[in-house]
Amino acid sequence: MRLSSFKYLVKQGFTGIWFNRINSFASLCVITISLMMVGISVLLSMNINSMIGSIESRNEVIVVITDGTPENNVALLGDQLRGNPNIFEVNFYSKDDAWAGMLETMTEEEKHDFRYIRENPLPDCYRIRVSDIDKLSKTVAEISSLDFVDSVQSPDDFASILVGIRNVTTLLFSAVTLSLIIVCFVIISNSTRASVYARRREINIMRYVGASKSFIEIPFFVEGLIIGLLSAGIAYGITWFAYKEVYAMFSSDVSMYSIFGLKALIPFDTIAIPTAVAYLVCGVILGALGTVVSARKHLNV
Amino acid sequence: MVEFRNVSYTYPSGQHALNRINLKIDDSEFAFVVGANGAGKSTLIKLILRELTATEGEVIVNGFNLSTMKKRKIPKLRRTIGVVFQDFRLIPNMTVYDNVAFALRVIDAPTKYIRARVPYVISLVGLTEKARSYPNDLSGGEQQRVALARALVNDPQLLIADEPTGNVDPARSFEIVDLLKAINACGTTVLMVTHQHDLVKYFGGRIININSGTIAFDEFIGGENET
Repeated sequence: MRLSSFKYLVKQGFTGIWFNRINSFASLCVITISLMMVGISVLLSMNINSMIGSIESRNEVIVVITDGTPENNVALLGDQLRGNPNIFEVNFYSKDDAWAGMLETMTEEEKHDFRYIRENPLPDCYRIRVSDIDKLSKTVAEISSLDFVDSVQSPDDFASILVGIRNVTTLLFSAVTLSLIIVCFVIISNSTRASVYARRREINIMRYVGASKSFIEIPFFVEGLIIGLLSAGIAYGITWFAYKEVYAMFSSDVSMYSIFGLKALIPFDTIAIPTAVAYLVCGVILGALGTVVSARKHLNV
Repeated sequence: MVEFRNVSYTYPSGQHALNRINLKIDDSEFAFVVGANGAGKSTLIKLILRELTATEGEVIVNGFNLSTMKKRKIPKLRRTIGVVFQDFRLIPNMTVYDNVAFALRVIDAPTKYIRARVPYVISLVGLTEKARSYPNDLSGGEQQRVALARALVNDPQLLIADEPTGNVDPARSFEIVDLLKAINACGTTVLMVTHQHDLVKYFGGRIININSGTIAFDEFIGGENET
């Protein structure tokens, strides 16, 4: 194709958007929202995975010993734990150590509130580390069945909560995104039909003078491509802004750390390029491909 | 060259539009196609343009066998044919120049060629002064000449004029046919569909009369302008 023809077709694409601006705007909005939904869903999932990974990397399990267990039985429990093939490290953490450690982390005000506590309420425990994180659930079950074990606190619990959150959000976002994609195609189809109608004279003449099928379709492809790229740009901008805000909120709020106990959020800078590429590709697919498919249907060339 | 060999066409509704037509129009010929409404003239034109495919028989146009031709080859066929319609079909927001150039732009013609060819064809139809005007600023006769220029700009082997004088006043109708005759004199085959018997009688030539899907009459008659 000649450069002059290429310029002509691109110009026709822009002209098509302008003549059909209300429908084009509707397409732009719905593609932008769809991209954002997909993007947020993926980013949320990535961050939850990162949190789960961070928790699992610590792989520390706390075995709480039943209060009042004689010392020899505590030692016996320690031996039983060491005998488990999936446990490679066993450390005893007495209730006094736990109390001292807790006091260290307290502010003066908090210590003042605890001044009337005469008896240490914390239990004795073993802190263990497992070799194979995939067998964590099985190991936790084995430990729980041992005598003198009051409870077992494993990262498995928190990780499974996060997995649950991830699964629910993925399902929710997938359903919403799927609905939006259907809406996208309906709106794009209507927009393209309006565009074909607006350009019916030109299209009719193009057919009679021998314009090729691709030459008739390319302006619609350009139209969809521009809308797709614009949508991707806008969606990326909004996502970038929103993500930075959420990230800053998590980074500055210490209580968030105390809840999660980890620094697992992914900085946007590290995922900026892949996110941009993904948005562009999805925008182009939704915009250009959607338009071309609809154009073929309505043009019937 | 246009050739119909035992061509029939039946619409999906079951209506028989053409019935075993045999017709040959040689290169550089001028032929009038006449007939009542619903006789099959439009179907004949649509078959030549490959808008429809014959349900029976063979249609050959400018070396293309339209009965066996693949859909993707249709643009190539149509580049050898110029078409003029009764309702002009000009693009109102384009100037005369752009309307004519449009036919070349959409077939990926080089810009240099467009710049040289378009003013030449506009001058052929006598509209050089109106090249920057818009269709709505022109009379019916002038608009039809723009449509003619657009049909000619790609230098077609065959020119189909479907009722080209239908929306033009009688005096200008004769000018349009004169122009078509001049184009034909340069070697382009011209097929003119018309209802206006006064034009046919005046100019004479080959007359193809279609009636109820068959060729009722196909002969040369002398024109009044020759006497």
